Formats: sequence, structure tokens, C-alpha cells
Amino acid sequence: MNDLRRGLAVAVAIARKDAISELRGRQAAGSTLFFAALVLLLFGFALGPDSRRLADAAPGLLWLAIVFGGLLTMARLHQLEADDGAFEQLALYPVDRRAIYAGKALAGAAAMLVLGGLLLPVVAILYAIPIGAAWLPLLVAVVLGAIGFAAIGTAYAGLTVRMRAREVMLPLLMLPIVAPLLLAAVKATAAALSGDPLGELGSWLQLLVAFDVIMLVVGVGTYGFLLED
Amino acid sequence: MPQTTIYVAPRLAGTLGTIPPAVATVELARLFGRSAALAGVSLTVEMGRTVALLGPNGAGKTTLLRILATAIRPSYGSLAIDGIDALHDTEQVRGRVVYLSHATGHYDDLTAEENLSFATTMFGWGFREGLGVAREALATVGLEAAAAQRVRTFSAGMRKRLALARVLVARPSLLLLDEPHAALDGEGMLLVDRLIGLWREAGVTLIVASHQAERVASQADAAVRLEGGLVADVSGAGVIAGPVGASPRPRVAVAGIDR
Repeated sequence: MNDLRRGLAVAVAIARKDAISELRGRQAAGSTLFFAALVLLLFGFALGPDSRRLADAAPGLLWLAIVFGGLLTMARLHQLEADDGAFEQLALYPVDRRAIYAGKALAGAAAMLVLGGLLLPVVAILYAIPIGAAWLPLLVAVVLGAIGFAAIGTAYAGLTVRMRAREVMLPLLMLPIVAPLLLAAVKATAAALSGDPLGELGSWLQLLVAFDVIMLVVGVGTYGFLLED
Repeated sequence: MPQTTIYVAPRLAGTLGTIPPAVATVELARLFGRSAALAGVSLTVEMGRTVALLGPNGAGKTTLLRILATAIRPSYGSLAIDGIDALHDTEQVRGRVVYLSHATGHYDDLTAEENLSFATTMFGWGFREGLGVAREALATVGLEAAAAQRVRTFSAGMRKRLALARVLVARPSLLLLDEPHAALDGEGMLLVDRLIGLWREAGVTLIVASHQAERVASQADAAVRLEGGLVADVSGAGVIAGPVGASPRPRVAVAGIDR
């Protein structure tokens, strides 16, 4: 019980310091959001003014923007550790490696959630889609997607943070792995927006839950090794 | 002078109540690519001793300290800290060893107090208790007035002082200091000397790597000189070059190392 309480205290402390760093370095967080919104705008230009076409493509475009913004977010949360040798210091603290992973993943999930939550209304405005009626299933999809993305993103960012070409390596390694998450999240979002006429929303959300569980298990199991030399 | 409390890890007894050595390494070697930063170092350090680790640039001082700190693993050899096998029970060892390295390991967007408060949580203090401990440590290192400033605005010397404060909030049994006087002004150097004295009195084992041989040697029980990744000379009390009480292990042939 004491171990669990200590692990929780460590995870919360790590997530808290990441959150403070993110909020104080507003420029970086704001730029990521702006970048993701710009991606949505450019997709809109690329697809043309046909509102029907935009509405059909909206779920996929939303999640691509979340993935692109999320890659930057995950890299930044680990860049904090790379500056001034903090990652080594973090590894040398006498704490359970799983608690360190939990803290980093918690911070990542919170950042992803904010990103997804803010991009939803941007999509609604840019592509003229009413999201009011479907807000609850949309929110569930964003929450599940954020958890899954942060779970695996934290592990991969931990892997690439010491690499020289980390900016390229993170998307290169991560994008193939998040393909199932992307698929399930896009399908769930599309089902939610269309009122779920085929009753498939539940299945896609279940797939997202399964993906989250698998990625969390993989992250917990591997992150400790990534912290070591 | 502000009050300075020194926290220490509880001593461990070895088999049959004997006191195990603080450090016992057998043929430690570490390769980086094809070059060997350490080429087979066997050292035994008694508990509570202060050891000056000397040698020219590239002698292997930092590599040895990083291996003792469990920051990197040796390519060959074995290592026990306070009688605990550091290569297997790494987490247990990390609760007893504290390492002050060249990189200070702070978070730039956090204030000095937030950085230290985070460290206290990681070292196992409760939140309230940790805050008190952190504030006392900040006062000791002379950063009380800068406690609410973000570390991004700190000079190299202030960063080093904050790193010293982080060592103060830990509970070490073995303390590894890599060039602790570097980047500090005269007053800061005196602070390091005073802290080394306090840790010594408290029974902490200290290994101090430094180019300021005279400064460190005046406080040390023994001096170990490294050259080319090997122990060139050992003098003083409490340190023996070579394993004690262990049967000699067969030497491992390391490619590219001239022994």
C-alpha cells in the first residue's frame, strides 16, 4: 500500500512539473495548437469549398491534426528532460520506473486532451459541422484517443530523446504503431457525428479501449529499460 | 550561518554483522565504441571515508563515478555499494548513492524552490516535510532570495548551488561529487568545503573527483589517481586498490586495451 501511495505521489509530482513547464512555456504549447489548427485550415483549402466533402472528411482530418500536434507535444515533454541532463537525474532517483512512466504519460494524456478538446470546435467552425448533439461520444473518443496516443507516445519519446535525429525518428517509429488508434478514433468520430445509424460507435470505442490497455502495458513494461544507459 | 541538517541513509550490516565496504569494484571496465574509458578498475573503499579521485582529463574519473552512480553500466566487471550488488539491485543502490555531475539536471521553467520540492518528493519526503527540508537547503546554499526565480535565469554558479541543495535533501550513504568546485565563486567553493566537512562528520562516504588536488586532498582520507582508465596510484587510509576478501577473478581480455 505504501509503495502504491509513493508511486502515485511520484507520478503526480512528475505530471505536475511537466504541466507547470508547459503552461510557463506557453509559446511552445500555443504554437503546437496553432500548427494543428493551420493543418486543418490547409486541408480545407486542399479539399475545396464543397461543404459535403469537407463534412465527410472532417473526422479523418481532425485526427490527423491531433496526431501531428501530438507528435510535437510528446517530443516537447521529453525535450524538457533532455535539457541540462535532467533525464539522467530522473533515472537516478530511487523510485519505481513504472511511476516515472505513469507521470510522463499522465502529463502527455492531459496535454493531448487539451489539444483534442480545443481542435474539436476548430473543426466545427472551419468545416461548418454541428457537434453540439454528439458532444458526449465525441468527448469519449477524444479522451480514449488521447490516452492511447500518450501511452505509446511517452514510450517512443523516451526511446528517441537521446537520439541525434529524434525529430525525425519519433514520427517515423510512432506513426505506423498509431495506425489502429487512428482508424478506430476516426470511425468512432464519424459514427458520433452521423448519429450512429449503423450502431457501430460502441465497437469502435471498445477497440480504442483495447488499444489503450495494450499500449499502457507496453509502455509500463518498456519505459524502465529506456531510462537506463 | 544558516542551520544545515545533514540527512544520511541508515547503515547496513553485512553478513555476520560485519560492515561491508562502501564501494567494492572488481575489474570495472567501460568501452565507448572501441575505446576504453575505464580499463579494469578494482577498488575497495571503507565506509565513512573521504576519497579524492585525481587524474588528468580523460583518465576515466567521470566514467568511474557514473558507473558507481548506476548512471551507466560497466562493460565488464562487478560493483557492490554498501554490500549490495549494484548491477542487480540497482533501485536499492539508488536509494543510497547520490551523484553530483557536471550537468545539473534542473528544469528551466520551474523555480528553484519548485525544482527542489520536486526532488524531495522523488527522494521520498512527504509534501509538507519536503518543503521545509527544501527551504532549509536553499538557505544553506545561499539561494534563499532566489527561491522564487525560474532556473532559466540562473548563472552556472547558481545552478551548481541548486544542485548542491538537491544533494542536501537526499539521504546518501555514498556521495559522488564530480568537480564540485567548478563554476563556483570563492564563497561557493568555501561552501562546498564546509558541506564536505559536514557530510564527513555525519559518516557519509565521499568520492570527490577534482582537478583541485590540494584543496580536496586536505579534507580526504585517501587519494586515488587514475591514468588511462587504470588505477595509477593509491595513497592514504581506507582505500585499497584491488578486491578485498574476494577470490581474484580471471582477467577479461578487452580488445584494444594495452595492459
